[in-house]
Amino acid sequence: MRAAALALALAAAPAPGLAQMGNPGFMAPDTRFDAQGMPEPGQTNPNDILFAQLAAEGGMAEVALSELAEGRAQAEAVTAFAARMIEDHTAANERLAGLAEAADIPLPEALNAEHKAIRGTLEGLEGAAFDIAYMRGQVVDHQKAATLMVWEIADGQEAGLQGFASETLPVILRHLEEARAIVADLSAQPEIAAVSPETIGIAPSATAAGWEGEGVTSPGDETANPAAPSPPPPAGAGAAPADEPAGEGATPAEAETAPAE
Amino acid sequence: MSRVVTAALSSALALATATPLASDPLPPTTNFRQLPTMPFSRVMELDAAQKPAVMQRQLDMLEARYDLADRPMDGVMMTGGLRAVQDGVRVRLPEGQTWDSLAAMTPAEIRDADLLPDGFKPLPHVKQANSGQVFPQFVIDEIDRQEGRDLTRFDVDFDLPAHLLPEFPPPIFLTTQPHLGDVSRGQLLTLANHYEIMNGLLTPVQMEGLRILLTPFPQEEFNQTEDRKTAEQHRGIACLDCHSNFSTNAGFHHTPDVRPQAARFRLDSPALRGMFNQQIHGSKRSLRSIEDFTEFEQHTAYFNGDHVSAARKGEHVPDRSHKVAFMAQMQNIIDFPPAPKLDPLGRLDADLATEQELLGEQVFNGKGQCAVCHIPQTAFMDQQMHDLKLERFYAPGEVVNDFVLLPDGPVKTFTLRGIKDTPPYLHDGRLMTLADTVEFFNLVLHTQLTQDEKDALVAYMLTL
Repeated sequence: MRAAALALALAAAPAPGLAQMGNPGFMAPDTRFDAQGMPEPGQTNPNDILFAQLAAEGGMAEVALSELAEGRAQAEAVTAFAARMIEDHTAANERLAGLAEAADIPLPEALNAEHKAIRGTLEGLEGAAFDIAYMRGQVVDHQKAATLMVWEIADGQEAGLQGFASETLPVILRHLEEARAIVADLSAQPEIAAVSPETIGIAPSATAAGWEGEGVTSPGDETANPAAPSPPPPAGAGAAPADEPAGEGATPAEAETAPAE
Repeated sequence: MSRVVTAALSSALALATATPLASDPLPPTTNFRQLPTMPFSRVMELDAAQKPAVMQRQLDMLEARYDLADRPMDGVMMTGGLRAVQDGVRVRLPEGQTWDSLAAMTPAEIRDADLLPDGFKPLPHVKQANSGQVFPQFVIDEIDRQEGRDLTRFDVDFDLPAHLLPEFPPPIFLTTQPHLGDVSRGQLLTLANHYEIMNGLLTPVQMEGLRILLTPFPQEEFNQTEDRKTAEQHRGIACLDCHSNFSTNAGFHHTPDVRPQAARFRLDSPALRGMFNQQIHGSKRSLRSIEDFTEFEQHTAYFNGDHVSAARKGEHVPDRSHKVAFMAQMQNIIDFPPAPKLDPLGRLDADLATEQELLGEQVFNGKGQCAVCHIPQTAFMDQQMHDLKLERFYAPGEVVNDFVLLPDGPVKTFTLRGIKDTPPYLHDGRLMTLADTVEFFNLVLHTQLTQDEKDALVAYMLTL
């Protein structure tokens, strides 16, 4: 079922008449229209162009990070997930590249800064730490990809790209569902629970926290925001830095359970 | 959760969002409304040219989902006696299936074989990209006749046939004047007639609240800028344009609470009857008082949750201490229509009800599970939002008429008092008749009702 649906999604040419009935108020004044008031085929709007580029960046990163994962992941579920991402996104990337070429949209040729940084971090990890870091990233990337597809379906104009978005979206949603399930499984394993931030090499306060009051306090944050009166971490914020003495913000019970692992 | 687990997870989360400064956000039109790029005259010309195809596509979709025929129940009228209640299940079955065969399957089996009837899935707005409020023609005609204010849009028309909609104009029952019965005099309340009709029945405060509820203010599609969908610069929309006589005319809108645009689901205007007992408002917003809701509608029903667009088109924010309170006071004296067979606790009076109605009540409170949320004693609601998890039955992500079908998530429990007066049903109006609602919940709640029990439930709901 899944394979069949995917093949359909990635191989099928967009059905005729799939072009969205857009809001003319937001179209470019130089758009050419047919007698029914619909943009003539083959015209992109700025949203199509941005969509193609963002989708291509995301798709390229999917393959690059998943190739890394295929060789490095520890859990079988993660390796299998990575293999499927390579297969699915390679096919999708090729189709997108064809649509972009036909529409004369230049696509990025290298990973963007965000994904380069993620790859750099992942390259420094192995085992359980790699697995959870890669899969967490997959959840976020697929969340963003799904929203991007939905945006193009409403705000794009070119039928081929909109068809690509609408046919890829269910596949992205399935990937996301699977990634969330794998993260949930991994997170329940003691080995994952034992992974420390030092191993991963990321200080949570530097990345996960926003400005003041976002749930994490650290010396770095305090100097960055001298005016902020170091707020107490909200209950359940889930972002307590591990290098902090266990007394502050953690109950004694929580502190005691940690070393037992 | 142990401290180390927390730390590890937070680190992994940090990785997932690593280097946020280098991470691009999604484009701004993913949530903000875009500014117009085309001259207004050209927009109107293009929208009008598209309109026949837009309407045909919508009617094709509706015909494929539903039997839209005019098939009234024998001798069953809505409360005001102006329109018959429609009979029978109208959602079409997938080929080769029966309601019993579907009810015997698990959600996963239905999902994997793609067998959920399309009429059970979220219902698309008539034009997803243009969005906004759309009124039945009989509403447009009456408001134009009384006020010279034309709610016709050049881009879309209303899509459902009138016989599937609420009666018009609906009767009005006041909690403060129960001895009078319907006080509408058969008229639609507007700014042109409300004082004459309501003088002597309302306090000055209530009357002023009513006046504001009938006063048009600029709205996303009905305003004076080039970003509108009416031919002339428009005075705007009044609260009671949708909530005719404090009931509903089935005018629909898009949820203001969801983005991107393609994911915004259709909203069927709910009745305001029994507002005095309702404690959460807005299918998604869960605003906690009618005062909150009344004040906030300028940011939602009027401007789709986009205060930036509202500022450009002229939003009207009523002041909380006076105008909002007046409007709320007016809404709080609107009663449900009479239900003579119900006792003071919301139970059927056995001396007045038929055997079938009594069986229906038994199913409602037992096997059918209806009363778990629609509690008789609290006006057939529970002041909660619930997630029916319909996505157990279909694969999300399908695109229908530019609308992406995604899980509904939690939606508030609506009252069932006066329910026969206010089709179509569910928050988006995807179900045309009460019999449709019975089949829908029979599947969703896996209640395995017999045909006799289903028929009895419909008979019971007609007494509410």
